[in-house]
Amino acid sequence: MSGNSGTLLPIYVMADESGSMNGNMPALNAGLAHLHLKLLAAPMAAAKVRFSVLGFADDAVQRMPLVDLRQQSEIPQLIARGTTSYEAAFQELLNRIPQDVDRLKADGYKVHRPAVFFMTDGLPNSDEDWISTHRRLTDRSVTKAAPNIISCGIGDADAQTIQLIATNPNFAFVSDGDRVGDAISSFCAALTQSVINSGTAMANGQAELIVEPPTGFRMVVDEI
Amino acid sequence: MQPYLLGGLDPTVEPQPQPQPQPQPQPQPQPVNDLAPRGLLQLPAPYRPAPVTGPSRDPANGTDWQPITVGTPCLQFEPRPPRTISYRPDAVCDGWSTEHLTVRLASVRGYAHRHDGRPREDDAAVAYHEPTGTVLFAVADGVSSATEPYIGATLACRTAIDDLTYQLDEGHGVDLVRTVRAAAWQLAARVAGAGRQATAEHSQEAERRYATTLVAGTVSTGQHGVPEVSLVQAGDSGAWLLHRGSGYFERLLTTKDSTGEDVLSSAVTPLPRVSATLQPIHVRLLPDSVLLVGSDGFGDPLGDGTGDVAHLFAHHLRTPPPTHGVAHLLDFSRETFDDDRTLLAVWPRHLLPGE
Repeated sequence: MSGNSGTLLPIYVMADESGSMNGNMPALNAGLAHLHLKLLAAPMAAAKVRFSVLGFADDAVQRMPLVDLRQQSEIPQLIARGTTSYEAAFQELLNRIPQDVDRLKADGYKVHRPAVFFMTDGLPNSDEDWISTHRRLTDRSVTKAAPNIISCGIGDADAQTIQLIATNPNFAFVSDGDRVGDAISSFCAALTQSVINSGTAMANGQAELIVEPPTGFRMVVDEI
Repeated sequence: MQPYLLGGLDPTVEPQPQPQPQPQPQPQPQPVNDLAPRGLLQLPAPYRPAPVTGPSRDPANGTDWQPITVGTPCLQFEPRPPRTISYRPDAVCDGWSTEHLTVRLASVRGYAHRHDGRPREDDAAVAYHEPTGTVLFAVADGVSSATEPYIGATLACRTAIDDLTYQLDEGHGVDLVRTVRAAAWQLAARVAGAGRQATAEHSQEAERRYATTLVAGTVSTGQHGVPEVSLVQAGDSGAWLLHRGSGYFERLLTTKDSTGEDVLSSAVTPLPRVSATLQPIHVRLLPDSVLLVGSDGFGDPLGDGTGDVAHLFAHHLRTPPPTHGVAHLLDFSRETFDDDRTLLAVWPRHLLPGE
């Protein structure tokens, strides 16, 4: 370990893998593959970002651990399966994020507050208390590395639920149209731009998370 | 005094064609990881500056001018020209000695700005007030989210030096808070335009266009000839005393790195905002110490003063390097550290090599 190895922004994609996403998985996987290519073309920004992909259905699965995407040959595929357990999703983040941040710090890095891009197309399982888990994850007095969560709802997602998930009113988006495939593509494009812009801002000494609103989505806050 | 450069280039030797080239052993630039690490005690004593090498065949293009690598280097590329409304050089450096003090200053564009064709947003200024024997300095780091931060940084530095000079000329001592306010006012005045009174609206617009950090101060000769440092901070640029014997970097100002938070905060309060609790600090520059004032492009990789970058600077700044050597040193390459970097260093003059 050599003092300060650098400053990194950990970014997580937590994507809905429930059965209803089956027809949309090709669009989502293609969008993440495109993000990978775009980030490889922006090496100064990519150097400042660590990226992880997780999927949730009945449980949450880590498809790709927190890695330097420049060292990654491809992003693993997300797979549609099962129900929609928000509780499993937030519990997985609650388990992983503090460990990941500790590991980066042990490697000598300074770490910016992690960002989670949460994408869902449906309502959470009705028999779960996901809100308590979400609260523990986002309460900075409980979880020191509590992430900023950007939530995007598509298809049957509920606007009020999406707003509850986001940690900032400006970070909650729901898609306007019925074309779920288009919405997923927009989500991926916005995610890509947010990752590159945040990495570039860090490269310019401007430490902040920049969230690009997805085209065709509206901010949920506008409804209130 | 024999000139020397970091990395061992001897600029006094002209390139000479060699009829029968023989491979000559060339001293290699010392990797930082081998710089007697965590081991300033292991450095040769008494300290000798970077070694002067034998003849170099191509002083203008030799590898000696490659950036010093610390750990994993940044991407290598030819810089793009900066998009600006006025001339902005990639790097500036300055250096001289007064009767009692030796000064070195460098400000270099960060790798990210070189890559993206953005100007250096840091700036600095240093001057000597001869009647009082006082060195005046200012270091500024324009805030990237502003539209013309490089103008803000330059304006803040020049105004600070002008104000300090004026105060010393008046002979009533130096009020550094006034200097910060003068720099903040100047940013708003530029928005207002010549001859017009700056208003709160102008100040808000100045924040959007010219927001910048500022550390300004003086080094004067105090009792028994010991230099005394006074400085004040607006925003998160930093200042340190490097203790030459131990290699310890004593932090003089609070920066984002010193808050002890689990994750980093990006909060800064740059000019034209001026904190109501602005408080100058005063320290003595003892013979074993070097005053360093720098932007976060220097402070971030320095970190807590225990890593490889800290060892690099502790080693090379124990005595004043050549002026261009400081710029070369400051331009080190280390992945993810690609912000603009500015560093002012002040030594007691007796540490100048050869004196």
